Amino acid sequence: MKEENQKENRKSSRRQFLKKGLIAGAGVVAGGSLIGAIVNKNKPDSGEKVTALTTTGELIEVDKAQIRSPRVSISESHNGIPGRKFVMVIDLAKCKNARKCVDSCQKGHHLPKDQEFMKVYFLQDSDKSAPYWFPKPCFHCDNPLCVSVCPVGATFKRSDGIVLIDTERCIGCKFCMTGCPYSTRVFAWKEYPEFKEDKEQYSPEASSPGKEGTVAKCDFCPDLVRIGKLPYCAQNCPMGVIYFGDIDEDTVTNGNETLKFSELIRDRAGYRYLEVLGTRPSVYYLPPVERQFPVDSGFNGLEESIKARYKNTPYGKNHKL
Amino acid sequence: MEQSASKEALLQKFAPQIEKTSFLASIWIIFLLCIIGVGVYAFICQVTQGHIVTGMRDNVVWGIYIVNFIFFMGMSYAGAIISGALHLFRTEWRKPIIRMAEYLAIISLLIGPGYILLCIGRLDRLYYLALFGRIQSPITWDVIAISTDIFGCLIFLYLSILRDIANLRDFKELKVPQWRKKLYSFLSLGYTGTPEQEKRLRRATDIMAAMVIAIAIIVYSVLAWIFSVTLQPGWHSTIFGPYFVIAAVYSGTGVLILTMYVFRKAYHLEHFVTRKHFVAMGVVMVVLAALFGYFTFSDYLTKWYGSEKNDESLIKILFSQYYWSFIFSNYIGVLVPLLVVGIPKLRTIPNITFSALIVVVALWFNRYLIVIPTLESPYLPIQDSRPEYLLYSGTWVEYALMAAGVALFCLLFTLASKFVPVINVSEMSDAPRDQREEGLFNTEESLL
Amino acid sequence: MKTIKSPIFIILLTVLLTNITILDAQEKKDTVTSIVPTISFSYLNLSNDSIVLTANLFVKKDQGVFAIQNAVIEFIAKGGNESKKIGQAITDDEGNAIIKVYAKTGLPLDKEGKSIFTAKFSTKGKYLSASESISAKQAKLSVNFSKVDSVRYILVTATQVDSKGMIKPIGKIPVTINVPRLFTPLKIGEITLEEDGTGKFEYPGNIVGDSVGNIIVIAKIEENDLFGNVQGQSSISWGIPKQYYLAEMPTRELWTPIAPLWMIVTLITMLTGVWAHYIYAIIQLVFIKRSSRPKKL
Repeated sequence: MKEENQKENRKSSRRQFLKKGLIAGAGVVAGGSLIGAIVNKNKPDSGEKVTALTTTGELIEVDKAQIRSPRVSISESHNGIPGRKFVMVIDLAKCKNARKCVDSCQKGHHLPKDQEFMKVYFLQDSDKSAPYWFPKPCFHCDNPLCVSVCPVGATFKRSDGIVLIDTERCIGCKFCMTGCPYSTRVFAWKEYPEFKEDKEQYSPEASSPGKEGTVAKCDFCPDLVRIGKLPYCAQNCPMGVIYFGDIDEDTVTNGNETLKFSELIRDRAGYRYLEVLGTRPSVYYLPPVERQFPVDSGFNGLEESIKARYKNTPYGKNHKL
Repeated sequence: MEQSASKEALLQKFAPQIEKTSFLASIWIIFLLCIIGVGVYAFICQVTQGHIVTGMRDNVVWGIYIVNFIFFMGMSYAGAIISGALHLFRTEWRKPIIRMAEYLAIISLLIGPGYILLCIGRLDRLYYLALFGRIQSPITWDVIAISTDIFGCLIFLYLSILRDIANLRDFKELKVPQWRKKLYSFLSLGYTGTPEQEKRLRRATDIMAAMVIAIAIIVYSVLAWIFSVTLQPGWHSTIFGPYFVIAAVYSGTGVLILTMYVFRKAYHLEHFVTRKHFVAMGVVMVVLAALFGYFTFSDYLTKWYGSEKNDESLIKILFSQYYWSFIFSNYIGVLVPLLVVGIPKLRTIPNITFSALIVVVALWFNRYLIVIPTLESPYLPIQDSRPEYLLYSGTWVEYALMAAGVALFCLLFTLASKFVPVINVSEMSDAPRDQREEGLFNTEESLL
Repeated sequence: MKTIKSPIFIILLTVLLTNITILDAQEKKDTVTSIVPTISFSYLNLSNDSIVLTANLFVKKDQGVFAIQNAVIEFIAKGGNESKKIGQAITDDEGNAIIKVYAKTGLPLDKEGKSIFTAKFSTKGKYLSASESISAKQAKLSVNFSKVDSVRYILVTATQVDSKGMIKPIGKIPVTINVPRLFTPLKIGEITLEEDGTGKFEYPGNIVGDSVGNIIVIAKIEENDLFGNVQGQSSISWGIPKQYYLAEMPTRELWTPIAPLWMIVTLITMLTGVWAHYIYAIIQLVFIKRSSRPKKL
């Protein structure tokens, strides 16, 4: 059983790799693509010549999950990635609270355990309606109340739709936290040791290293997007729940499948959460129809402390979690 | 001259307050300083260890600090509105208590904003508010409004103590150090009471009284808008502006009555601050109690009747885990003054003071119930966060700083009363406008 | 010599033997600490006579995948008995070593026209050697467009070179039609080519292109046992011009850096009103001060 799993994993990773190869190739031919630019740097002109790059001889291991673009400066981070408008689609039918989105995001952003940019809710809209898992990143609203209420312009919206926080500017008044109706923002209540893990220069695009007394939140990982990688949550979801893409290009992808955004939303009746509030989110949800597994399988294999977080849900109360 | 004679007599009476600090008063001041010292220690803890020492967490991001901020600012606006209105309407019974209202306005205005500073994560970047201020943010409105208000209240206070400062300067028997005399002389601006000076002072005071009322209403509405511009169920209410103003004046009236009671006892002002004044303020308090009850009822009734999902969950919380504080703040806090002052037989000074105390505490809880339960019932239910993040309860740091604020309030009031008498000497010595010279000191005279 | 049986020799021998066993043990320890890297190798024929070979060198540990950077990867092509080094590249921070080979430079071919490509990493430091091979036959995909009675078609042709050097069509092969996108290409259709190596796909018409409507259409043969990955492409202006959602960032919204005009006007009006009164009151005080002077003098 276990062996089979492993085999499958290997297979799928191989397939993923082959696909990545294809993407890289596409990049080379497309020429203008971001990925192409990255790949090209090692590419010789002809097969006869050997790459001119000198090697230091030192082999370095690099955590693949952590590779991202060099960090842009704070002032540069105010400009969006040109010609893009990012959108996320979350397929509730596939989510079973594997929590890889949460973990990889925390690792990628050097977050302490208390701070989560991505949260997975267990919602049940009414007594008789069905419960479902609800991963919640920042919605990067097009009418962001958090940005409106910020007294010092520490949080800002860019031309690519991403709402970022500059923790060098933030005074920590927490008004944005009360302004956000989706409880998306988190506060650095103390100097967490995890903040010190990140030795690189601070950039709002990376939301790292964190700073005591300031607000932080999900940033749609523009530092990954710049090198053509999906945000941590989308990259690492084993179920392919999270799709990410450019809404102007009408395409979203979860890494394995690439779909037309408009068709996906049309066919699956995609919606935005709490549309009534007029915040105009950039995150769409696909309703949890035709689920592939029972909803309570989301409790399997959870740490006790994580399980305890769902005690207060209607389901948790009924089943004495 | 009869007028100056009575002024002299009054000054004679109030001089001991200013001249020396009694043993009891010294103990009192040291006691207050100790409490403030604990507060300073708590503040140092918060600065060095971070906001983790407070009970605030990601869901309830504003706690007792903001409650105290609203509370003290409310007292200030109440002081401003009461003193401004009493002045403008030339109410005869205002004279002995108007100074206290003015002190109340400025002292609580100096303490209140401190609480919002305690809430700020990076105090070292406070000047960013001026450097990068965004006009769209209600916090910016608040910063502008509060600083404008502080200036206004200081000018108004100065205008109203000017004559007393001049009196103190001219009162040769006053046994105070030379520097204090010099200070009085400097601050009095050479006011001697010439008709022209009197006219100008009156004109300026009238203008400032009107301004102080207007600003107090605007500023407290701005404070209310900090809450009501957000989309949080429980805050997103159009009624919040006027509701906050009424609640502010209501609680401030209570504090003023308490102040009157304390100073009456401490400085033996039984002759000046009489039952009549308590009843008068009590009647004001009753009117405000009715208004406050009306606003509270309107706010919660509409929430409950419409019973939108999120409003409903808020009401549910208020009537379950906050049941007793809700009953206390919104029922007892309204009914007690209505009964005590409403029934003439019950209108004794201790009774009115007691109901004022109830009002003050009830209104503190009212603010607590506005801030915290709302943050505990956001649109997305609080889930997937650490258990200690779920519900709010203040820590010793927050309560220590709250106590320190109250102590500082008492200390500043004590010190202010030692600088210029808490009774407006010059106004007291002015001839009553209705020529009833006896009336002012007649304790038995009934109100209206 | 053969029969020296001096005790010294025996002692020497035992010392030597024990030494060897110790060395052996040390070597074993070394094997424990040395790391076995993995190469993941991909072949992509770009149809314009060039082939992109990508070797990805990585190690798996602590449940994570770590790329090995700065490693030299050697690429070898083999056909029949002939073997030829076609290049080498150094892995980047993602562990990728990529070379582009021109097919016309004479790749060694076997009888069926196939070549075996190998990516090789030689032992270095604690990393053991690794290699991975792919065999593929050269093929070509070309994309063309046609419009018949206002219906637009994407035409795909697949060809191969047989052992005699003749160009022959590839028939009955599945081909996907894609357009490149920000992250991964978007598949807009899938066809199986006819016997004659051609295929026709009706253009769906609702594909977003660049700002003037140009789109690149990529036809792909994916993971074919014989041909590997082959892709061919062409561009045309059939796309819907890309509409930029936030082409012009609003300037005077609540959330923009500059406030709405009414807000600024209201604020300035109110502040002017209030401070004018303050100044009036202060002027009165100044007059009071001034009027007291003559008396003092």
